[in-house]
Amino acid sequence: MKLSRRTRIAAAVAGAASFALIAAGCSSSGGGGSTSGPVTLTVTTFGTMGFDKLYAQYEKEHPNITIKATNIDTGDNALTDWQTKQAAGSGLPDVQAVEEGWLSKVMQVSDQFNDLKDYGANDIKSRWVDWKLKQATDKNGRIIGYGTDIGPEGLCYNGKLFAAAGLPSDRESVAKLFGGDNATWDDFFKVGEQYHKATGKAWYDQSGFIWNAMVNQQKEGYYTTDGKLNIENNSDLKTLWSKLAGGAAAGLSSNQTQWDWGKGKAFTDGSFATFVCPGWMLGVVQGQVKAGGGDATTGWDFANVFPGGAANWGGSFLTVPKQSKHPKEAAALAAWLTTAKSQVQTFQAAGTFPSVTAAQSDPGVTGSSDLTKFFNNAPVGQILSERAKGVVAQYKGPDDSVIQSQVFGPSVQQLDSGKANGDQAWSNAMKLLNQLVVNK
Amino acid sequence: MTTTATTREEPPAIPASPASASASRRGRGPRADLTFAQRLSRFDVKASPYFYVAPFFVLFGLVGLFPLVYTFVVSLNNWNLLTGPGDWVGFKNYASELSDPFFWNSLFNTLSIFLLSAIPQLIAAVFIAAILDQNLRAKTFWRMSVLLPYVVTPVAVTLIFSSAFDEKYGLINNMLQAVGLHPVMWKTETFPSHIAIASMVNWRWTGYNALILLAAMQAVPRDIHESAALDGAGSFRRFFSITLPSIRPTMIFVIVTATIGGLQIFTEPKLFNPSSAVPGGPQRQYQTTVLYLWDMAFNRQNFGKASAIAWLLFLLIVIFGVLNFLISRRIASTEARVLRRRTARRLQASRILAASSEEKNV
Repeated sequence: MKLSRRTRIAAAVAGAASFALIAAGCSSSGGGGSTSGPVTLTVTTFGTMGFDKLYAQYEKEHPNITIKATNIDTGDNALTDWQTKQAAGSGLPDVQAVEEGWLSKVMQVSDQFNDLKDYGANDIKSRWVDWKLKQATDKNGRIIGYGTDIGPEGLCYNGKLFAAAGLPSDRESVAKLFGGDNATWDDFFKVGEQYHKATGKAWYDQSGFIWNAMVNQQKEGYYTTDGKLNIENNSDLKTLWSKLAGGAAAGLSSNQTQWDWGKGKAFTDGSFATFVCPGWMLGVVQGQVKAGGGDATTGWDFANVFPGGAANWGGSFLTVPKQSKHPKEAAALAAWLTTAKSQVQTFQAAGTFPSVTAAQSDPGVTGSSDLTKFFNNAPVGQILSERAKGVVAQYKGPDDSVIQSQVFGPSVQQLDSGKANGDQAWSNAMKLLNQLVVNK
Repeated sequence: MTTTATTREEPPAIPASPASASASRRGRGPRADLTFAQRLSRFDVKASPYFYVAPFFVLFGLVGLFPLVYTFVVSLNNWNLLTGPGDWVGFKNYASELSDPFFWNSLFNTLSIFLLSAIPQLIAAVFIAAILDQNLRAKTFWRMSVLLPYVVTPVAVTLIFSSAFDEKYGLINNMLQAVGLHPVMWKTETFPSHIAIASMVNWRWTGYNALILLAAMQAVPRDIHESAALDGAGSFRRFFSITLPSIRPTMIFVIVTATIGGLQIFTEPKLFNPSSAVPGGPQRQYQTTVLYLWDMAFNRQNFGKASAIAWLLFLLIVIFGVLNFLISRRIASTEARVLRRRTARRLQASRILAASSEEKNV
């Protein structure tokens, strides 16, 4: 085949160009093989953890370290992300945030996480509340995570909507209205019915969070402490379920979509007046109200009361997976992100209540910040410290998240949309439990 | 003696090897073996086609065939996502899946969404192609804009549609309420959710299919249309009697690809309610089989059953494909049979005519 001169030149240029492109594309990015050279640490968090400004600070103090942070929107999606990468054997970051609800899954593969005792955990382990440290210790005594926040629950309410319904709207009176230290769920639903009669509007956004709060308050939740399922003949759970069903039947639930809330509009258009608020949820509420076009004047406030007594929802840990190529630097970063000073900063940014005892009494936590200004100058830190008294962490079994999302999730939705009454929804839940958990 | 004399004086009658034949043909004198270059050239001619096709098959083997076989192996075990392989259970995973109501629910959802999307999509695509086939002004603009929905990433499309179909705050329910109708529960009832997801799929794929059918329509010779028009056929009559039958092979291709894609819908149902705890709706109203398979693998951590579901879906798609093939072959063979019979009859008629005219001449 005779090529003309022009074709030959064109072919040569094209060949050289494509070769250069391939060479450039295939060149490996600079690796951080040696620990003394520049190191890039990847961090994956979820929800609103408040670490963003801290990353910049750490990078300034440690010029050889660059932090690449990824934040996933919800805990469920973050769980999927962690599981997928854990199963695949690659892709996990150097520092991985782990939620309390995943701990039973994490503990199944706890040998895939670095024992932080090798990187100085023993020197700093006294900084945390002891039950938080115990949660992060596996059965062989390896400490695999540093605690970030805990989730003591208080009640967020909309002062303006309360006033419009004739209910007291300042924090102290609201706490007294619900029964103060002896607040019960019956009180909560009674006041709700009062509100509904006065305004015709719903009391809370959806029953799922109420159910979570009720379950978390129990000494033993879905599993007993020795790991056996605890639902079928659990009369306490059944009683709580009928209370919940009564509330939904009375129109107290606004049947919102969890974690969507109309992209925040439900928080600003008066669809509901109360909201279950563990410490980390305060940041979420603020974000949702802003997304829905509202601000501090929308009226959301935070009361020092919680029906049913002290309750904890969630809380996270920072772990260093064995997949990390820089475990020493990653463990140092995780330890730095969980010092008292850092935890005060994350609290001010996201409302995540510190698990480090020194931080809990720090004026930065008990004083004022952007968050407190948003919630009508509520002393958020003080309220959360008081709400944290008496919290005992519950044992979470291996299928806890499946039970919460896929067994009770559908049944709660049935209650909210009026498709089933309490008994029918409960028996549906039991059917799902057998299908998904017992006979898996 | 004579033979040696012969070889010296003239080229051998029967060449000892093809090499020497070519050597002698070129008048190179005494026979020699093929040169390396010549052998290479021969090898090139015989073997190159296989080498050119090899990269695809190597890649397919790595990325397609190996995972297929490995998935089958995984499906025969109890395999936990995190803790790894367990005991060998043979076909127990298949048996338990075939008796699992959620599996059949997902198949029902998949087929329902598939039919709701494929049928309107293809009808619309055919009509759009017919319109684009006309002599419009700014033809290229219309043809490109029909393809635009296909270009947008499915995730972005799903998020926007999902927000429009939101039950409380979505655009569509707002419009329905503005006209005085009841809001439709797009995300918590089965049939409305199927319609919503099917509309997303249709929005994306109609333009693509329309362009493929347009290409087929443009291959129909214009003089058939002209002669039909001269005979008095209106445009609708021409469309149904000429255009549609001519594009039948392309229609079959489009139907087959739509089937294979429609049985594997995943992105749209997953992101329809992005924060739903149960993928596919709280009561699994729109959980398609691929979504069910993903849920089984990553939420319920049961890799063994998930692999069994994957293989069952694979077999289902193969069955659909084979059905499609048999139907289209029967259509083709019917045509061929009719054609053959007609030709045979005409041949018979002309032979009789020729024979009778011969008799006359004789």
